[in-house]
Amino acid sequence: MNNTPKTGLRRALVALVALCLIAAACGSDDDSGEASGSASDSASASASASASASASEPASADDGEASEDGAAAGGDINGDGILQVGIMGECEGPFGGFHEDVVGGASLAFIELAGASSNSSTSALEGFSGATVAGVEIELVGIGCGDDTPDTAIQEIRRLVEQDGSEVILGPLSGDESIAMANFAKDNPDITIINGTAGAQETTLQVQAENYFRFNGDGAQWNAGIGDILHNTAGWETAAVIVDDYSFGWTSAAGFIAEFCAAGGDVVQRVFPPLGTTDYSSFVAQLPDPDEVDGYFWVVGGTGTQASLEAFVNAKGDLNGAQHAGNLFFNPGLAAALGPGIAGAYVGGFASLPGDVTSPAIDAYIAAADGAWESLPGALSGNEPAAPSVALTFGFGYSYYVAGLALIEAMEANGGDISPAGLQASLAGLTLDAPYGQITLDENRQAIVDAAVQQLVLDDNGEVVSRTVAIVPGVDQTFGGVFSPDTPPPSREDPGCVEADLPWVGNAIPVVDGVPQG
Amino acid sequence: MTIDRSRWLPPLVVLVVLAALPLFGSEFFVTFVMTRTFMLGMAAATIVFLSGFGGMTSMAQFLMFGIAGFMIGNLSVSEAGSKGLKLGLDPWLSVVLALVITTVVALILGAVASRTTGIYYLMLTFIFAVIGFFFFGQVTTFSGFGGITGIDPPPVLLDHPIRLYFVALALSFATYFTLRAVIRTPFGLALQGIRDEPVRMAALGWNVPLHRTLAFAMAGFLAGVAGVLNVWWNGQIDPRSISIGPTIDLLIIAVIGGMARLEGAWIGAFVFVAANNYLRSIPLVDRIGITEARFNTVIGALVLLIVIASPDGITGLYDRLRRAWRPIGVDQAANQLALEGNDPSISNDRGEIR
Repeated sequence: MNNTPKTGLRRALVALVALCLIAAACGSDDDSGEASGSASDSASASASASASASASEPASADDGEASEDGAAAGGDINGDGILQVGIMGECEGPFGGFHEDVVGGASLAFIELAGASSNSSTSALEGFSGATVAGVEIELVGIGCGDDTPDTAIQEIRRLVEQDGSEVILGPLSGDESIAMANFAKDNPDITIINGTAGAQETTLQVQAENYFRFNGDGAQWNAGIGDILHNTAGWETAAVIVDDYSFGWTSAAGFIAEFCAAGGDVVQRVFPPLGTTDYSSFVAQLPDPDEVDGYFWVVGGTGTQASLEAFVNAKGDLNGAQHAGNLFFNPGLAAALGPGIAGAYVGGFASLPGDVTSPAIDAYIAAADGAWESLPGALSGNEPAAPSVALTFGFGYSYYVAGLALIEAMEANGGDISPAGLQASLAGLTLDAPYGQITLDENRQAIVDAAVQQLVLDDNGEVVSRTVAIVPGVDQTFGGVFSPDTPPPSREDPGCVEADLPWVGNAIPVVDGVPQG
Repeated sequence: MTIDRSRWLPPLVVLVVLAALPLFGSEFFVTFVMTRTFMLGMAAATIVFLSGFGGMTSMAQFLMFGIAGFMIGNLSVSEAGSKGLKLGLDPWLSVVLALVITTVVALILGAVASRTTGIYYLMLTFIFAVIGFFFFGQVTTFSGFGGITGIDPPPVLLDHPIRLYFVALALSFATYFTLRAVIRTPFGLALQGIRDEPVRMAALGWNVPLHRTLAFAMAGFLAGVAGVLNVWWNGQIDPRSISIGPTIDLLIIAVIGGMARLEGAWIGAFVFVAANNYLRSIPLVDRIGITEARFNTVIGALVLLIVIASPDGITGLYDRLRRAWRPIGVDQAANQLALEGNDPSISNDRGEIR
């Protein structure tokens, strides 16, 4: 009475046609640059007519051109003589506000040094076009949209690689993402990944993917010098730490704990709120009271920094700069919400130095940033339009700039060899003269960096600003042997609090009025 | 009972086309979009099964998906630097143990929730999901918020994403036919009776909580199978993989596809995954503000549209259109029964309603 065979056939036919249509529609997304161009998010769609023309030239024409230029076109994965690059950022989650910063940072390298032009004068997310290095065209094929979860990071990188045809990825931004992406790199040896800002130790020290390069320090390296100063200068004997409960938080805290304890201090309490917590009151309640401990070290980032400090004020009283210190997320902007009592606090370093340190290279970098766009809505300006250098002198944008710079210098060093082996060998042997200091890589392709310790101070107008107080040169990931591939990666329990000799304790270079004293 | 071609032909044609898909679809489409579609579809099908045929709208299916994944991570990974128990067991033994653990947990949670109905069932299972998220986040013995990375599939599937596609395809069809068959067993018919009239079924002597518990455990097992595939496909799992966001996404997938038909789960999953990956590639779509960061807005609007235009999802829309096109006089009751997931011929044959 109900379904006749004819109906069934009709259903089957409908299903068949629908599936064929879907497969046909999606099946054209192959690994060629053409598909990538169309899928390059806002980049291609918004490109100017001329930019689009240059980005979407037939692959055959590009092949010929590249060969004539003498570039080693044959070896690249896609075989078109063009280097397809993807940028992996975060457009959602706790660090979603830094999306413009990181895409802008990576783009600036190509605009400044590879002849590219930005597709928009007010947003980096529109991408760039016209980049050429050593005779090889570089095409931005996609911008990944992470949300600080490894799951999304893996899915976005697969989209960038498998659908958009990326041969090189610049990114990711955050710790757990980087561990997942380093594992992805291990399984995909032809893809070259140059870390963006992510600072988990495990990414390079334990995973050790041959094709994953990190030209920025990890969270522990950035905090080099602060434990020494807090113990030996500020006089802290005991400290409590409150730490984002994920790999970057653990790594960042590990840097402080290892050095503070090495210098003779004691960490009496460790509290771990999940990343992205909004109500920190229960975690602050676990901290000792101000009269029970010499100081607190805060490793709470993104949207949680201010919320956690506000919870502290509500539970334990006003902030006293002499009793608080933090990693890179402690910034002068906090004073606007919490008052100037925070002045005096020591702050760990980040990828770049604070604005009070200048050099000709830094001035040139700032000028290049301000010349690349009219304005960028970066995180430090509350995602409102501001001079691009506001975003790009902060560590997020700068780290991505360094990643782009590394790619360009690696290609220049090997004469435009974009085969995976050629590119990776060149990257591994690179000594990078970056605006904020020279960077070399260790055997795990992890940067050895100069770290800076800053302090929040009141300026002549009574406003809280950042000032550099010391620079620790040549900080390597092992922290003088405290960390190794055989030690457990930083976690809630590790590292323990043990006295030790760190090579730079007592040897940091003091900085007075922006001038290193040594 | 004669073989009804109209019932078996469409799924078989779809199976053949999907089996041939690697021949003409791009690698990304096959090994990413469709493999993910099958995994999420399997998990969403368990929601459709519980809700559409058991009257239990469960928010804990993604938890089951995740428990299986975490267990695989804990049991099979041994690499230094990884999190969890690092037992390094044989991958196939890990699968068996992971599914046993997932099913046992589902039995326990199903029993706890079995005496609640409606919004209370939904809330209770949602609480299970939240507890699961924090359990794996806080108990670093099993994971911690960093999650477990470096999870490899068994050697036969390692570096063979097409094989994983075929496994996901085969298991999806196995899930579909299993659930379809279960619905028509006395157990399934009783479950549908419980869905419609739990008090009357209890009065007739049926053990309502036991049926609900067993249905939840079975759904948990199937969601666990999908979770095993997912962790092989993704190579890692962390608590945020099973947090509130993905939990709600799975319900959205079921709603998009339609709660009245099992196949709706896979259709909803395909729409969800395809929208996530292809929406941003549509030329000029970013000009109207739809960028990758607006994916949730688009999916939200789509769900709103579907709820307003077709409460039974895309499969419901198909049924409506089919009814509208069919000549007057066709047995409306049969269609209605089909909408509710009953096969009139089978139920009439059996006539076992006690």
